[in-house]
Amino acid sequence: MRRTGFLYDERFLLHDTGPEHPECSARLLAIYKGLEEAGLISKVRLIKASRADQAWIEIVHSIKLIMRFEEACLWGMNELDHPDNKMCRETFETAMLAVGGILHTVDLVMEGEIDNAFCAVRPPGHHAEVSKVMGFCYFNNVAIAARYLRRKWKLQRVGIVDFDVHHGNGTQNIFEDDPSVFYYSIHEHPSFSYPGTGRDFEKGTGEGYGFTLNSPVLPGWGDAEYKALLEKDLFPAFEEFKPEVILVSAGFDAHVDDDMSDIKLSTECFSWIMENIVGMADKYSGGRLISVLEGGYAVSRLSELARNHVEILLGSKA
Amino acid sequence: MFINKTMTRRVITIGPEAGILEARGKMEENGIRHLPVVDENNKVVGIITDRDLRSALPSVFSTCREDPKELQRISALKVGDVMNKKVTTISPMDTLEDALLLMHKSNKGALPVVDRDGNLKGIISTRDLVRAFINVLGIEEPGTLLCLVVEEKLGQMKKIVDAITEEGIPFGSILVARHWEKGKRAVFPYLLTVNVAKVKRKLENMGYTLLDPMEWSLDQTRKS
Ligand SMILES: [Zn+2]
Repeated sequence: MRRTGFLYDERFLLHDTGPEHPECSARLLAIYKGLEEAGLISKVRLIKASRADQAWIEIVHSIKLIMRFEEACLWGMNELDHPDNKMCRETFETAMLAVGGILHTVDLVMEGEIDNAFCAVRPPGHHAEVSKVMGFCYFNNVAIAARYLRRKWKLQRVGIVDFDVHHGNGTQNIFEDDPSVFYYSIHEHPSFSYPGTGRDFEKGTGEGYGFTLNSPVLPGWGDAEYKALLEKDLFPAFEEFKPEVILVSAGFDAHVDDDMSDIKLSTECFSWIMENIVGMADKYSGGRLISVLEGGYAVSRLSELARNHVEILLGSKA
Repeated sequence: MFINKTMTRRVITIGPEAGILEARGKMEENGIRHLPVVDENNKVVGIITDRDLRSALPSVFSTCREDPKELQRISALKVGDVMNKKVTTISPMDTLEDALLLMHKSNKGALPVVDRDGNLKGIISTRDLVRAFINVLGIEEPGTLLCLVVEEKLGQMKKIVDAITEEGIPFGSILVARHWEKGKRAVFPYLLTVNVAKVKRKLENMGYTLLDPMEWSLDQTRKS
């Protein structure tokens, strides 16, 4: 069995998005319950959040954005820039804790304390750009982790797999000209889903050309098409790139029971995807993999999805 | 929407006395397919397209390439010899709609924009229209497209717009497609939000049909 970290903190529940918002704290409670009921809490290394040093946020985001975000919270504003981004007084601190917790998790993996980890954080991050919050996202957790691996741990190649049903425009945008971070995303075709980017001709810019790869999926498609696209696009790309660490933007909103998209993945397909990503980490990255929660709004399904996810990380899934 | 707001002002042109090899070089260099031909007073006397050049120049596989006589003939060809003298032009104070309909009708990919005195002012091509269409769709801003099938009767749009506005969702654009099923319209609201599940349910509860994305089409006229 592998040594798997699980980043979870009750303070992640404090980010209150108000009534009827899909990105709600019940999501995390369902995830925790899923692990608890399967007896996994005692098998993982539980990691508590710690506040990020703002300097690490600044390796991705503009100081102006960080300050505007903090100020909006202090003023008690209930949204930032757009009605999608609902918030409360604790949102800024929660986002700081999420990033800090993830960077601490990265350290544990790089120091060899653990092999891999699942970070069940809120708010999510992959839509957030350098100076723009959007789509429920404030700080781009995964992008900060990728750059942290480059700066602090001096890695040459970081691979990101984003299987949230929405395209991670923020992550793509941040690394599009950077050949040291490979961004791969599979998502519902942008003509039918938010945010409208992630077309197959978006392949990076300048020196980063060829280090961004998108697999758009048509509405109504499911397991078979996902598997075929991952085999055709992601597997050979990572075989060639050979990432030293794999970061996963783990969004569960492509599930058939999730009404945020028209994609119909089964619970089993999420397991298949994760088994293959873990397999790639074993092959190329010495097993080093850090998975970070993005979307996933079918609360009734999150328990089983998170349980399977962590069992696969542990290597204990039958 | 007048043409002079959308047209490309910096036009690459050529004179009628220039050789066709020069015309080909200009097109390749600038990545364009149309060259208005102007006289010394900047008056349009013709237009030459990449298609005209292709029919005038033998292909690389052709044997006449080795024939020095044929080569000489080609190098001596002037733009004025192969250009189209009947030019479909448009005026700066015509509208974007005029251009769309005229390009559709005349099957032209570009129209020189010419003032009343025949002076070349610009050019409008499919490229300009593509840019305008991207802008009209609003797709450079993050959002989600829906498609509703509605009965063709007064007040439907208001209900849809009101229902979406009540949810606090901004619009990127809203398109209505005609020639759909008889007595029906397809309405495409482009919503600047990721949070569409709730508003989709609401619209369905109001009795609207959300069309399967695989069935969406702006152009039902073509199929029939
Ligand atoms: Zn998502």
